[in-house]
Amino acid sequence: MFFILFKLAWRNLLRNKRRTIIASIAIGIGLAALIFVDALMIGMTQNMIKTATASFLGDAQIHRKGYQDEQELSLTIQELDKVTAKLAKEAIVHYFTRRTFSLGMITSPANVSAVNLIGVQPSTERYLSQIDDAITKGVYFKDNDSRDIIIGTKLAENLEIGIEDRVVVTVAQSGSGELSQEGFRVSGIFHFVDEAMNSGMAFVRIKKAQQMFAIGDNVHEIAIKFTSTAYTQERELPFWKTYSQYGNEVLSWAEILPQLKIILDMSKYSKYIMGVVLFGVVIFGIINTLFMSLYERMFEFGVLRAVGTRPVGMARIILFEAGTLAIVSIAIGSIIGFGITALFAHLGLNYTGIEMMGVTIQEYIFPVLNIQQFILYPAAVFLFTIIAGLYPAWHVAKMTPVDAMRRSF
Amino acid sequence: MEQTQNHEVIVTDKVTKIFDPDGIPVNALNGIDLTITSGEFTAIVGPSGSGKTTFLNIISGLDTPTEGKVWLSGKIISEMNGNELSDFRRDNIGFIFQAYNLIPVLTVEENVEYIMLLAGVSKAERHERVKKMLKAVGLEGVEDRLPTQLSGGQQQRVAIARAMVSEPTIILADEPTANLDSKTGNDLLEMMRRLNDETGMTFIFSTHDPMVMDRARRLITLRDGQVDTDETK
Ligand SMILES: Nc1ncnc2c1ncn2[C@@H]1O[C@H](COP(=O)(O)OP(=O)(O)OP(=O)(O)O)[C@@H](O)[C@H]1O
Ligand SMILES: [Mg+2]
Repeated sequence: MFFILFKLAWRNLLRNKRRTIIASIAIGIGLAALIFVDALMIGMTQNMIKTATASFLGDAQIHRKGYQDEQELSLTIQELDKVTAKLAKEAIVHYFTRRTFSLGMITSPANVSAVNLIGVQPSTERYLSQIDDAITKGVYFKDNDSRDIIIGTKLAENLEIGIEDRVVVTVAQSGSGELSQEGFRVSGIFHFVDEAMNSGMAFVRIKKAQQMFAIGDNVHEIAIKFTSTAYTQERELPFWKTYSQYGNEVLSWAEILPQLKIILDMSKYSKYIMGVVLFGVVIFGIINTLFMSLYERMFEFGVLRAVGTRPVGMARIILFEAGTLAIVSIAIGSIIGFGITALFAHLGLNYTGIEMMGVTIQEYIFPVLNIQQFILYPAAVFLFTIIAGLYPAWHVAKMTPVDAMRRSF
Repeated sequence: MEQTQNHEVIVTDKVTKIFDPDGIPVNALNGIDLTITSGEFTAIVGPSGSGKTTFLNIISGLDTPTEGKVWLSGKIISEMNGNELSDFRRDNIGFIFQAYNLIPVLTVEENVEYIMLLAGVSKAERHERVKKMLKAVGLEGVEDRLPTQLSGGQQQRVAIARAMVSEPTIILADEPTANLDSKTGNDLLEMMRRLNDETGMTFIFSTHDPMVMDRARRLITLRDGQVDTDETK
């Protein structure tokens, strides 16, 4: 019985090939769009997380509790030795690096500017941030010169200085609040897409910074890179508890940049919105197509009904036709969706320089294909189509045979 | 089907049908009392609008009477619901319409076996019966053709094969020859009569064609929704 229903459906769809093709291409394009947008969202999410975490943030950071809000110089990480000793043995931690921060003033013969002075460990910092990769002039940190300072292009421009030029940095010391001044020599100039970084950050060796800030061997931040970014989402890992002891707290990138987390969560909703739009396309495409072919075949339906097909059997004929149309549309949509997405997954989409919620996109976005897109969305299209088919199916089921046969003339 | 003793197949009791599509009631049937016995070969005749189609529709359960009762094989069909009626038609009534009887996307074999599919007959038996029936209507070897690849007369023969294949109690045909030329129509009637002789199956058909009327064994004339004459030859 199911075989004949399928044959009926298939041959009826072939009866008006053009209409079937137009309807299935319309639905197929909807499906393809859904697949593409999903792939783009994944690509964008990965891109933004990578941009946010790779350029400076890291996957997670440890601070003294309260430091994030107050940025107070004296709020250094507690039990630093214990913490770093443990981190060194942590299986999920790939790299970690210490940092210390203070706001200060940077002066050149030509100009003066506010700056965020950051003390870093050059050897491990390179794994956590992209400062080393972003150097456009000069070098990252040379040998062992404690007077090295690395600044951004914008800051260099404001100060009207270049490589090997001298600057003076002034900061207030921890506790006493006394000013401390040091002279540095520009060893490298970096350029990020994010202009705020180019104009407001200066990097020096951590030892030097600790001296200037008068904080001993203490640091404000440990930035951590996991062996896999996925660990940032695994909140049940003991890691998050272990390092939130001694008055410290460990935060993942999502907690440090809650705005980014929000936009990424929101991008999920755009999928649902797309889904609703697709649903509309399917509903109208299917209902219209089915009704058109239905009215052309009224007499046939009358005959089928007369010779003993039950009302529900009549509905089944329509639903099979809807289902078959869905399968054709899904095939078309999956091929188009795969083709377009694969193409852009190869070429990439240039959104560089666009800032979203504090994260500046620095690389091409590459849509990411996955198997789910070709299971979930086609299944949704199939379901939508069947739902859309219910109305014409019900219409046919409730028709009496005489009505159907009379209406056709 | 051997018929040893004739029995009542259809009984109608004061069947009335009033159509009221736009507030103007039309009395299509005005109290029809008729009894059809098994094995009959009966023509319903009468002028256009006299109620032939309406009558056939009502005795086959395609339509319901406004008043009155219809018994078919001892069951009151005028009171059955949708599914009961569908199954009853499938098992008891073979239909032949004036034209467009066949589903154009199904082959001859698929058209003929459709009712048996509904009834859940096995594939082997379906095939066997289709073959036998097509042979009986003189259409061997066209099983795999589509209806559009057949002539009008051939299509009507396939319709007869479909109507008879599940051995229903009664075959109803509303002007089965109206779309055929007179020679083809005559041949078709000739064949129906032969099948009626051979199988004893009951045939009721409506017609305008005097030549067709001549072949009937009983002639019921309707006029204004009432039985005018009823003669058995
Ligand atoms: N669905 C309907 N709505 C309104 N009136 C109808 C309907 N069906 C039939 N009638 C009317 O009922 C009467 C009987 O019609 P019916 O079709 O049974 O006649 P008939 O004898 O089959 O005619 P013909 O020889 O032209 O086929 C006619 O007056 C017709 O107009
Ligand atoms: Mg008629």
